[in-house]
Amino acid sequence: MSDFARQQGEFQRGILTADDSVLAEILDSPREKRETLFGVYRYAYGSRLVEVMRNDHELLHLYLGDEMFDEMGHAYVKARPSQHPNLRWFSQGLPEFLHATAPYSEHPVLSDLAALEKTLNDAFDAEEANVLALADMAGFAPEVWNDLKFQPHPTASRLDLSTNAAAIWLALKNEEAPPDAATLEAPSRLLIWRQDVTPMFRELTAEEAMMWDEAATGIPFGVLCSMLATYDDPDSAAARGAGYLHGWITSGTLAGVSADE
Amino acid sequence: MNVASRSPNPFEAAVADRPMKSAKPPFLGFGLGLRHQHYDEILNGNPPIDWFEVISENYMIPGGQPLRTLDRICERYPVVMHGVSLSIASTAPPNFEYLQGLKDLARRVEPKWVSDHLCWTGVHGKNLHDLLPIPYTSEALDHVVSRVQLVQEFLGRAIVLENVSTYVQFNNSEMTEWEFLSELSRRSGCWLLFDINNVYVSAFNHGYDPMTFLNGIPRDRVVQFHMAGHSHMGTHIIDTHDHPVCEDVWDLYVAALKRFGRVSTMIERDDNIPPLDELILEVNRTREIANEVLPASGKPAG
Repeated sequence: MSDFARQQGEFQRGILTADDSVLAEILDSPREKRETLFGVYRYAYGSRLVEVMRNDHELLHLYLGDEMFDEMGHAYVKARPSQHPNLRWFSQGLPEFLHATAPYSEHPVLSDLAALEKTLNDAFDAEEANVLALADMAGFAPEVWNDLKFQPHPTASRLDLSTNAAAIWLALKNEEAPPDAATLEAPSRLLIWRQDVTPMFRELTAEEAMMWDEAATGIPFGVLCSMLATYDDPDSAAARGAGYLHGWITSGTLAGVSADE
Repeated sequence: MNVASRSPNPFEAAVADRPMKSAKPPFLGFGLGLRHQHYDEILNGNPPIDWFEVISENYMIPGGQPLRTLDRICERYPVVMHGVSLSIASTAPPNFEYLQGLKDLARRVEPKWVSDHLCWTGVHGKNLHDLLPIPYTSEALDHVVSRVQLVQEFLGRAIVLENVSTYVQFNNSEMTEWEFLSELSRRSGCWLLFDINNVYVSAFNHGYDPMTFLNGIPRDRVVQFHMAGHSHMGTHIIDTHDHPVCEDVWDLYVAALKRFGRVSTMIERDDNIPPLDELILEVNRTREIANEVLPASGKPAG
């Protein structure tokens, strides 16, 4: 290892830990001791990353308040040092960290809230793609509808939450007092996507969520309707399927359709 | 690819010493760092700003509003790309995924130039997201020259490197920062982004005269000035970019104009972002001072 590489390793260790070895290679300035000057880098490291987390998770920050959020943020910074050159991806692991790490794991609403914000952030700058329009459906003859397969828009994704984090998110967004955190009897099934430039989400019924999840794997419309028939009234299954499909298309959550068998 | 410094391979050493020849980038006038808080005002108002500098990493994303807005800005204004994660002085292996992303963005933006900083941001797979200082040694210089050469060949263009604000100096430095920058530019062919605020900050922090730094940089290698504000802590200054440009830095700008001639200049504000009008006043001041100091046709001094 070159001396330059060794020195960079020491410098980095000095920032990430309390190891002061690198101070032996640093000069005092005419006005200040090296400990204080090196401390500028130490302090900036954690505070910069926590600031990024505050921006990525505005409502979790609002929910927890400055002190608790920053304490949590510094714990995340320590546990998950950034490995990507772009800060955009730094807080991607936060939902999983909150889910797996005490004391945050004792409050599952925190990881749910973080997951909702992360998924909305991901929709915000997800890749561009064609948006399927109702007019695109007009070209298909009735007899091929059973074979139609749908391609979700790259901004669209599903998220299941075990808590009322979506209601808390909405209240915080509207600058209202959030409801008490609660675990739900059945998960809250969300569809998240980007409409033009704005991330959106809405809650799906269990039946619509099932149909979306299956459609996203390439299951054709005819099979989807057969699945719907096992959920509720079989006679209206095709109409319900068409209704869900209409909603997905008009909200811009699909990128394409094909009639390949 | 191994580009470790002091390579035993004489061919690699020879390659590292061959500077990339490129035409000096054009004078763009007086610009501003693009920040999302001003997107609407810029697109709806066509403010009198000659050009914009964009933070490359903010647009190294898959899609959405930031890239759509950038496309519209590029239709109306000259744009330069300014990165913070090139980590050109890192001893870690080069990150080709990052470089490919940078190259892809440059293909989209068609910037007048691509810049980053003379610094490193991390080693051993970690990224500290800070502009970290280096010792000014011949070993470090050899390493950075070879890295600049590699990046320039990958991107197919000469890059522009900026002096950073530093808070510490290493006891094994063998030359000054301005000697290091000058040699780096001469040997690699990279151009220099002369951050006037950073010169002021580093000079204060390390106790030397900023004019010595300024006069140590070759007249013909500087293609851009940065002007920014900072936070004074009494015994040292922190480069926070969250204040207006201070009077001492304006004075140093005058000296820089006298030495380097007419150089594309921009106001760089990264935090505590004020309304656009407030920043336009600072942009106007960069223009007015340049016109006072260099009233003629504006030929670069170099």
